[in-house]
Amino acid sequence: MITLGSQGKNTFLEAVNKKSGANVLECYQCGKCVSTCPVSQYMDFPPREIMQMIKLGLKNESYMANSHWFCLTCSACSGRCPREIDIPAVMEAVRHLAIDENYINDSKKVKEIRKFHEIFLSMIKRYGRNYELRMMAEFNIRTRNLFKDMHLAPKALLKGKIPLGVKPLKSAKAIKRMYEVAEKLEKNK
Amino acid sequence: MKKLTYFPGCSAHGTSEEFDSTLKLVLKTLDVELEDIPDWNCCGATSAHVMTENLAYALPLRNLVLAEKLENTTMGIACASCYQRMKVTKVKMDGNPELAKRINTTVVEEGTYEGKVDVKSMLQYAYEDIGLEIIKSKVTKPLTGLKVACYYGCLLTRPKEITKFDSPEYPVSMDQICEALGATATEFDYKTECCGASFSISNTEVVENLSGQILAMAKESGAHAIVVACPLCQSNLDMRQPDIEKLQGVKYDIPIFYFTQLMALAFGYPIEQLKFPKHIVPVEGALANIGKVEPVPEKVKKPIKAVEAESEVK
Repeated sequence: MITLGSQGKNTFLEAVNKKSGANVLECYQCGKCVSTCPVSQYMDFPPREIMQMIKLGLKNESYMANSHWFCLTCSACSGRCPREIDIPAVMEAVRHLAIDENYINDSKKVKEIRKFHEIFLSMIKRYGRNYELRMMAEFNIRTRNLFKDMHLAPKALLKGKIPLGVKPLKSAKAIKRMYEVAEKLEKNK
Repeated sequence: MKKLTYFPGCSAHGTSEEFDSTLKLVLKTLDVELEDIPDWNCCGATSAHVMTENLAYALPLRNLVLAEKLENTTMGIACASCYQRMKVTKVKMDGNPELAKRINTTVVEEGTYEGKVDVKSMLQYAYEDIGLEIIKSKVTKPLTGLKVACYYGCLLTRPKEITKFDSPEYPVSMDQICEALGATATEFDYKTECCGASFSISNTEVVENLSGQILAMAKESGAHAIVVACPLCQSNLDMRQPDIEKLQGVKYDIPIFYFTQLMALAFGYPIEQLKFPKHIVPVEGALANIGKVEPVPEKVKKPIKAVEAESEVK
């Protein structure tokens, strides 16, 4: 069923437009974004359909779709969009709203993508920089897939492709403080 | 002597150490002195903007603010992903003072953002600030005979409103640099297709599919090697290549060079300094083509203009 929000207003469309700075209503469904998108084949709904779902106010369905998690922000779609809509910004707005409103997509792939980003951010919080080897190890442990990419490890480590350590920031405190302020900003939106 | 503020990015101390070290060799020849941003931090790469808006701007902003304390007004960035996050943040901050004020509260101790420093990728810096003529003049060992497919990926030229550099669909800057070094750039249609980027770890099958298509197209273009300017593209195309070959049942054997490695090679640096042993796909086969002169093909393509002229006569 399509719910258009209170007083028949499409509050979801308004929220996405406001957050993304784009105007989703300008989309005329030509589908160029779908044929351009390198990952549309993996999406529950390709970008064109997500745009239409936003227009129809299908909030739940848009949030729960894996589409915004699969978007790589490669900006190929927006570069070719005849209406010049910033589609990656729309995808990002949907994702951020879904995170804010605690909508959790339970599929294995989305869980893994999300876990990767969370681990990456925790590396920066801890070291101020990315610690590649630890990030990969933590990803394998936390997704219960210990042997993922292990066949690449001996060569990569021997060749020094992936170093064993990281040079942490001198002022790691600055980053911790930044995270705290940013979290507060996020809450006070 | 030119001076340039330098943001190496996390991978410069890790997976793309050969990019960083050969870049330094090349800039030494080109008489450019690099000044590192003191105590720089990770730009947040693909993850920060996926999860949260404020942190996505805050992490690059700290580097921009720190860079403003140095004398130079241009910041050169090796990694394409760092470049894009930094440039997006700069454009957003410059265009939206309210947002700039809000994000600046996360880095008050470092200072206030003023927008004094311009942000460029190292490819853009080499192309615009150094120029093809000077690059050409430094070549002592031309790469004649080597055919390369120049792969730009998504981040160096897109979105065009942000990067304002080269073409978002069919860029040519790296091709022209390679030609200046004596190599031949092939006609390669997948120049700006995505390699799968940050899905390298969390969604490997997507990377294997997308990078596989890029490798196949590069091979079809007749290239001996692919040239890149992005650490993530390099590791996806190089480190994942054996798995892709297994998956597709094809043998590619295409080494993936950073454009700085080829520049250093053409500038006459000894091969030992170019960190080729770090590559997963061996480079020797491709480099063996240097110096080989190909026979001129019998069928010479008619120039397009001549065909047009004929049809006009009819």
